[in-house]
Amino acid sequence: MLEGAEFYFNVDHGYLEGLVRGCKASLLTQQDYLNLVQCETLEDVKIHLQTTDYGNFLANQTNPLTVSKIDTEMRKKLCREFEYFRNHSLEPLSTFFTYMTCSYMIDNVILLMNGALQKKPVKEILAKCHPLGRFTEMEAVNIAETPSDLFKAVLVETPLAPFFQDCMSENTLDELNIELLRNKLYKSYLEAFYKFCKNHGDVTAEIMCPILEFEADRRAFIITLNSFGTELSKDDRETLYPTCGKLYPEGLRLLAQAEDFDQMRRVADHYGVYKPLFEAVGDGSGGKTLEDVFYEREVQMNVLAFNRQFHYGVFYAYTKLKEQEMRNIVWIAECISQRHRTKINSYIPIL
Amino acid sequence: MASVFRSEEMCLSQLFLQVEAAYCCVAELGELGLVQFKDLNVNVNSFQRKFVNEVRRCESLERILRFLEDEMQNEIVPQLPERPPPTPLPREMIMLETLLEKLEEELQEANQNQQALKKSFLELTELKHLLKKTQDFFETETNLADDFFMEDTSGLLELRATPACVTGKLGFTAGVINRERMASFERLLWRVCRGNIYLKFSEVDTILEDPVTKEEIKKNIFIIFYQGEQLRQKIKRICEGFRATIYPCPEPVGERREMLAGVNAKLEDLITVITQTESHRQRLLQEAAANWHSWAVKVQKMKAIYHILNMCNIDVTQQCAIAEIWFPVADTGRIKRALEQGMELSGSSMVPILTAVQSKAAPPTFNRTNKFTAGFQNIVDAYGVGSYREMNPGKGSDALNNGEA
Repeated sequence: MLEGAEFYFNVDHGYLEGLVRGCKASLLTQQDYLNLVQCETLEDVKIHLQTTDYGNFLANQTNPLTVSKIDTEMRKKLCREFEYFRNHSLEPLSTFFTYMTCSYMIDNVILLMNGALQKKPVKEILAKCHPLGRFTEMEAVNIAETPSDLFKAVLVETPLAPFFQDCMSENTLDELNIELLRNKLYKSYLEAFYKFCKNHGDVTAEIMCPILEFEADRRAFIITLNSFGTELSKDDRETLYPTCGKLYPEGLRLLAQAEDFDQMRRVADHYGVYKPLFEAVGDGSGGKTLEDVFYEREVQMNVLAFNRQFHYGVFYAYTKLKEQEMRNIVWIAECISQRHRTKINSYIPIL
Repeated sequence: MASVFRSEEMCLSQLFLQVEAAYCCVAELGELGLVQFKDLNVNVNSFQRKFVNEVRRCESLERILRFLEDEMQNEIVPQLPERPPPTPLPREMIMLETLLEKLEEELQEANQNQQALKKSFLELTELKHLLKKTQDFFETETNLADDFFMEDTSGLLELRATPACVTGKLGFTAGVINRERMASFERLLWRVCRGNIYLKFSEVDTILEDPVTKEEIKKNIFIIFYQGEQLRQKIKRICEGFRATIYPCPEPVGERREMLAGVNAKLEDLITVITQTESHRQRLLQEAAANWHSWAVKVQKMKAIYHILNMCNIDVTQQCAIAEIWFPVADTGRIKRALEQGMELSGSSMVPILTAVQSKAAPPTFNRTNKFTAGFQNIVDAYGVGSYREMNPGKGSDALNNGEA
């Protein structure tokens, strides 16, 4: 890509960048969160959200208001904005958006397969699927028995097709294999996305590559943490780690050998970025968990993405920040509806 | 004549009202349209204000009115009353609530009945077309049977003289699917069944109406021939996935003709029932349309009054509401009269008290307009609202030229 994005970017993408910056300006502020925390019922939450950019999005909901209704409506709003951006985009921004939706598609496919295993009706699971990851053959996913069936029949026309190279095996899909399939798919997806951003070059690579590297390392840590005490062998574990992060290759090799949290922490101590994160993790109850710490770092990186202009990272950052805001609102709403207000302040502030 | 200054002189006063009279006085001031209230409760959250419940009730009334409006949509136009209705009293809200909720319930019930009826109508229509088309499929196949099967292609397409493939070799599934999904449906079937099926489809000529969204949908009829139970299961699941409806289609010609006759009879019955439910629903909507506009205006006025009351300082111990208002000095008389009228309407004894207040804040800019000049003032304001009492340059130049004031 030619250097000097400032000369060419606005021709194709200027309108959308302006739009996404306007959307980012209407994210909830610390004052909004303070007001939300003081609400007594979900009706109060609805009234306060009317004064924000959400407006009357719950106006047509009948009583009683539930947390899942709020979540569905917020998700619909994000989906509308995302679809608008996507429909108005040109190449290569459209490919960028397609890459963004792939992660939701992977989640939907795994959800459908799990549902098929547990013999749940397709309609019930379709309601739980993420709207950003919708594709036409989605409903036919449950007929596949093995991954190669799944690929050949259903997914070969979706954008997920290139990520199936490492996952083609004749094992039947049972619960453990589905999780392995998810991780392998995600690894290929992340590496492909990273390569795309890097080849694009320019400011986009400068902003997106560190974010994706962090995402890869975060997944490596979480996979390691979740595999303590399971039957997953160390070699298998190593094949699930995405290789586009800072931990590659020595860190990943050390992580594969780790057997408990302290060994993992010692691996992280070798890296200047991850050492303070692990130090911030509290022990046991009270204090932050590793996931909270990772969320905070992700939010930090996404907010910083808006300090540069003329790159595609703003769209990625906006979507992720909006999702974090939705998670925050759902957390606060759950605390309010269950009247369990002790941990209500454990949301992650954004601005 | 025009004055030296562009906007009117404003004054800030504190208004002391009895709590019972507050609603009616604010209503009268609202009808006048000459007063701006200051928000005295800026530090209070919007959900902690005093009249939050009333605002919520108004909003649920608005929701019902929006629902009624959607239902009426293109079919009926709500009548505009000659004059806007007067502001309703608080106790009228309860009456409106019961009325609107009853109307909403009845309309939703009528809608549900109609949807169920339309759904079965759609299914029967699809079945009718399916039966007709499968007749054509089977007949064309028998014409081919003689020269088509000269070679010994056993297995798949052994159709005999009788159109039925019933002697254990081939099964078939017949159904209806949306036209948009036809292409990916075909491709998926081909891939999953590894080409071991024979699919024939044709379009439904009439346009069908979707029961829920009331949009027109175009459908295709398909019939799939296959061999074996496994393929049948796979085809069934794929059809479920693509939301294609499968209909049991009998094979012998005689049975098909009987079924067609039965379907036609049922369709005629259904049409009569549907027309009856539709007329009932129209009657309900006409009732709603007669009053829709005045209800909407009433609810809007009530909500506005409660928003204003939220801005006032309600002092419970002394039973009075305190508000701060800006109004043009020239209209002091009209405002006092409006307040007295409000007091009489509510039946309270205490006269509302207006006391002038000094303030360093810049007063709001008010330009008196009528129906004609309002448009021009809007254009001017779009470029920027003028500051309070800015000089009128046109008047000044007159004075320079002629010495007139």
